[in-house]
Formats: sequence, structure tokens, C-alpha cells
Amino acid sequence: MTVGDWLVILPLLCSALAGVAWVAAAPGGTRVVVTQDGQTCFTAPLDQPRGFDIEGPLGLTHLVIDEQGVRITSSPCPRKLCLSMGPARHTGDLLACVPNRILVRIDSPGGEEAPYDLLSR
Amino acid sequence: MPWNRPLMIVLLAGLVAVTWWRLQPADGQIHRSQLLMGTVVEIMAGGRPTGQLEDAVDAAFAEMTRLDLLFSSYRPDSEVSRLSQSTRGGEVSAETAAVLALGLEVAQRSGGAFDLTLGRLKSLWGIDGDNPVVPDRQAIAAALAGIGPKALTLDGRQLSKQSGPLQIDLGGIAKGYAVDRAVAVLKEHGIASAAVNAGGDMYLLGQRPERPWRVGIQHPRNKDAVLETVQVDDRAVVTSGDYERFFEQDGQRYHHIFDPQSGFPARGCQSVTVIADSVALGDALATALFVLGPQAGLRLLDQYPGAEALIVAADGSLHASEGWTKYQVTP
Repeated sequence: MTVGDWLVILPLLCSALAGVAWVAAAPGGTRVVVTQDGQTCFTAPLDQPRGFDIEGPLGLTHLVIDEQGVRITSSPCPRKLCLSMGPARHTGDLLACVPNRILVRIDSPGGEEAPYDLLSR
Repeated sequence: MPWNRPLMIVLLAGLVAVTWWRLQPADGQIHRSQLLMGTVVEIMAGGRPTGQLEDAVDAAFAEMTRLDLLFSSYRPDSEVSRLSQSTRGGEVSAETAAVLALGLEVAQRSGGAFDLTLGRLKSLWGIDGDNPVVPDRQAIAAALAGIGPKALTLDGRQLSKQSGPLQIDLGGIAKGYAVDRAVAVLKEHGIASAAVNAGGDMYLLGQRPERPWRVGIQHPRNKDAVLETVQVDDRAVVTSGDYERFFEQDGQRYHHIFDPQSGFPARGCQSVTVIADSVALGDALATALFVLGPQAGLRLLDQYPGAEALIVAADGSLHASEGWTKYQVTP
């Protein structure tokens, strides 16, 4: 092989390997995605229990991930309607605290088949 | 094996192409959410290049934002607020006229179970505010004075109020109309597969790839459970429930769906889900059926051949319209 061959083959090989590495590193499994004003501010796997705080215009909203899913456990909003929404656990489920501008979504980049696409409530 | 330069280059280029093709989303799907009209609005769209989907969804959200500025009872400069402040009514936009026309029709057919003039009553209860209270009966009677299907008259785009203090409230229908308009915008942008969901009022456009959309219906008394799952395409699904917005006072629970006859929260149902041609109609019917209760509600539904409903009565019993089963997902 000539130097010219290597100049063609090496970039192609590197490009293919980078693509394979990117696919392998892509997040799999079901995730909790928190957004504020359209921007993602937090993500975490749904199968790893933890608590976390998200700061909104009214203060801190506390969320918990456990075996039931993700739910809002405390909020500075006046009516606390977000606390009564219960857990979100299926792909596409949504929780929201409208006054504190926090949206929580269950996402599944791996394409987990949920029992439904949307929840009417 | 001898070095075959053209073959090796073609093979490697093929490997690169396949790898990068696999990195692209399978069917160009996007999923976006925004807080709008006091609720979460989510739009899922697919089946077109991502750029086209982004433009379409941006336009759909913009349309809903525009309508919120017309319909909101909380914005003093909205068209609805101006109508409420006026003593006689006035000329309204084409969009407000469309919502009023549909609302007045459902109000009439439901014998006033659905009502567009509950603004004073809702303000009295403060149900959408931070400090809701149970008002005294005298105040409730005053807030109900002059309301009903004949309290407003629409002639083209000219709205007449029968009494000055009437407060117009499109809360039971405006969100649904906004979803319908968002769907129309998506169609204008060439989108054939989408779901628009505004806090449970939703329209399912076309199908997901290879199957209809599946919609779970919230169980009204077990927030961890789904009551049923239905399968739909090109249909609206709307649920109204007593668990959505409520407060407790002296051990009694008071929710946000009012019976215009009594001025108190309607007590005949736990939840009502309607499948209809449009979200605005589904929205109005879900409220009317909730107020009427299962028997009278299903009789009203007979007047709307394209609509089906599943009602959970106050005692937890299920009442479905005749055609409901065609939407049920069999396990």
C-alpha cells in the first residue's frame, strides 16, 4: 500500500470507529428528564433511586426517584397540585409544576415500548 | 489476498455510511413540551425530516400562544376579559366566535350543564387561585343570577350579553380549541403523524409508525393506575376528573367542575373521558357529561354520533357509550 492509500483509508477508518464508539456511548435505558423553559436542566436513570432539587423562580422543588418512578415530594408553589400528580414511570409520562416552571418527562432513548403513548388525565 | 485498492475503499466508505446512518433517528421524530395556557402542552410529531418537524411544531406552539392571548381570563387585555368587562358584549374575533358558537350549542343541548358564563362563580370560589374558599350560599346565588344558555347571544361575530355583570369563562373549551388549531397548523406544514396534548386534552393525528396511538386513561382514585387504554387515530381524547384541581375545607373535598344549577362542584361523577372529532367538542362534552352524571350524560351523547364516552360514576361504577368498545385495547 502507498502513502496515498493510507491517507484515504485512515480517515475513513477513524470516522467509522468514532461512529461505533458514539453509538456504544449513547445513553440507554429509561431516563428522567427535567426541563425549564425548554432547556434540559437535569437527567438521571430511572432505575437508580435518588433525591434531587431543581431550582425554579419560586424556589426549590424536590423530586425523588424510587421503585415507583419519579415524583415531586415538595414544592414552593402555593397550591401543591404537583405533589398530587403521583409518580411518572412510563415512557412519555409527564409531571409539571406550572408555577415553578418545572417539567419532568420520562424518556427512553433505547426505545422501550410503553403500554401507552400518552396519558389522558 | 492481494491488496485491492478500489474494493477496500468502497467497503470502508460503506461501513462509514452505514454507521452514520444508524446514528440518525429512525423516523425523524421530535417531542417538545411547553408550559402554556396554565398547563403542560406537549407535541410529538414524526414522519418528516427533522427540520420540517421543528418548523411545524414551532408554528403550532406559536398558534397556541396567540390564542391564549385571546382567550385567557387572567390577562386583563385578552378579548375574553374585555367582553366580561363590557356591559353589552361586542364584536369578537373569528376564533372567539367559533369557540362561543360551539360552546353555546353544547350549552343549549345540555340544558345548561355546560355553561360559558360561570366566570363570577369561579372567581367567588377562587378555585384557580392560591386561596380557594367555600362561599356562602347567598353569594353563590348572586353569582348564578342571569347565567345560562340564553345569557349570551351570538350573531355572526357580534356577541350580546343579556346582563352586564356576566363574566365569560371559556376555560371548559378554549384549551381544546387551541389544540385543534395547533393540529391544523401541523397539517398545513405537511405533518401527517402527531399528537398534541394540553394537560390531558389531546388530539392524535394519523398513526404512529405501524399502529394507532395508544392513550392511557388515568384512574380517578388510584393515581398510580390506568383505568383503560384506548387506541385511536385522527380523534380527540379528553378527560375531566374531580382529582385534577381541588381543595379541602372542613373535611370536605371541593373540585373545579361546577354544576351551574347549584353553584357547587358537580357530584355525579369521578371522571369522564370523551373521544370526539375535535378537542373543543370533547372538552365541552366532558364537562357537560360530568355535570349531568352517567344516565343523562349518555343521553346527551346520543345527539353527537361521532362521540363516545367512558364515565366513572361517583360510586366508581363504569358507564360506557355503545361504541366505546371499538377503541378499547384488548389485552
